[in-house]
Amino acid sequence: MRGTSIAALITFVVLVIFVLIVPAGCKRQWQAAFLNTVAPLFHAASGLTQGIGGVSGGFKKLDELEKENRELKEENAELRTSNSLLKNLESEVNRLSKALGYRERSPFKLVPAHVISRENAAWWNSCTIDRGSADGVGIDMAVVTEAGLVGKIVNVSKNAAIVLLVSDEGLKVSVSIEGTQEQGIISGTRASSNYVPDLRIGFISKTAEIKPGMKVFTSGTGGVFPSGVLVGTVKGFAIKELEGVATVEPAVDLTRVEDVFVITGAR
Amino acid sequence: MIRFSLLLALLIFLASVVQRYIPPIIWLKESAILLAPALLFYGCLTLPFPAVLGLTFFTGLINDLLTVPFAQESNYSIGTSIVLLLIPALIMHGFSSTFLRGRWGTNLLLAELAAVLTPFLLLGQYGIISFERRAFFYNDVVMWRILGPGVIAIVISPCVFLVLAYLSDLLRYEPQLDRPRQG
Repeated sequence: MRGTSIAALITFVVLVIFVLIVPAGCKRQWQAAFLNTVAPLFHAASGLTQGIGGVSGGFKKLDELEKENRELKEENAELRTSNSLLKNLESEVNRLSKALGYRERSPFKLVPAHVISRENAAWWNSCTIDRGSADGVGIDMAVVTEAGLVGKIVNVSKNAAIVLLVSDEGLKVSVSIEGTQEQGIISGTRASSNYVPDLRIGFISKTAEIKPGMKVFTSGTGGVFPSGVLVGTVKGFAIKELEGVATVEPAVDLTRVEDVFVITGAR
Repeated sequence: MIRFSLLLALLIFLASVVQRYIPPIIWLKESAILLAPALLFYGCLTLPFPAVLGLTFFTGLINDLLTVPFAQESNYSIGTSIVLLLIPALIMHGFSSTFLRGRWGTNLLLAELAAVLTPFLLLGQYGIISFERRAFFYNDVVMWRILGPGVIAIVISPCVFLVLAYLSDLLRYEPQLDRPRQG
């Protein structure tokens, strides 16, 4: 091996050891700084993918209108196009009105945010939102939508933040089940589909009367998540050797969620 | 060599960002499309040893900063992927002399070897998380999440190799073997 190769190998080993042993707080800052650097890229990519989605959405509407046109045999191409655009606008207005209504009704101080990137490659379920410390967003703050719980903030840069989703196996949330005295810890499962994730509540009493369709809410224990936020709906309940285990369908469609709110405090 | 290394580093960075926006293949059990490993492995075949180490360090660190949520809950330390990527990177570098002889059939086989090594990082991550969480389990979702990107890379890797060979020509980079010291 040549001298340069040996020197490179030694440098590599020293750098790897340095990266691995550096304190956690320092690594958090690295990631925040990196997030700050790539956030504009995420914004641009998010805008681009939305544009592509919008175009395909437009084609879908056109298809629907063409079908309608075949049935009616009256409408012309111009009318179909304008109708399609209006329908797209209408759904956008509906979506934003729902979000605005939730923000006004909510007992919490909410910071609205937009999902700009999703992690879909490996073992962690997270996404990146376009609000950061400059907007009052901080670590461990809960993230919700009008439909229910999304996750919690795990790292923040000035203009972006990483959200660990409720479907992640590592995120544990204390919950209570509607209509019962049962409380448990809910978490995602590593080996479930990203599109139809299963959440799992463990440590439930074996004698609990839990039925499919019951709602699951945060219990507020632990202080990160406020109580009363909908997490999901019970799909099934199984009795294991030592405990009862309930499977839960998340209230929020985590693969499609676009607009979220960060709970920054109580009103 | 420096220009080509920098180009590869830039492409790996861009690929790491872009692959976040490529939806997984639903009919392959939601397997993700990974572009960065093919770029790294091409670098391992064509760059000298010090540059291979540098590129592996860069790829592993970027991967962790982009994909691992920094939280106690992630059970995975940022920087671990550098070590995990080093193993397939060195395997690929071991074939650099074969690659540089330039026979297209062998190069295609090496592109497929890159595809086979693509899931190595995911497998390593799965092992570490399972160990940390003391929860080893296995089903078809886990299998496809690990092997799926490799199956997809069987198609992607040769294309990436072709594009990079073209870019390498464009930059007039002529890869050379690490020569043992004379005498």
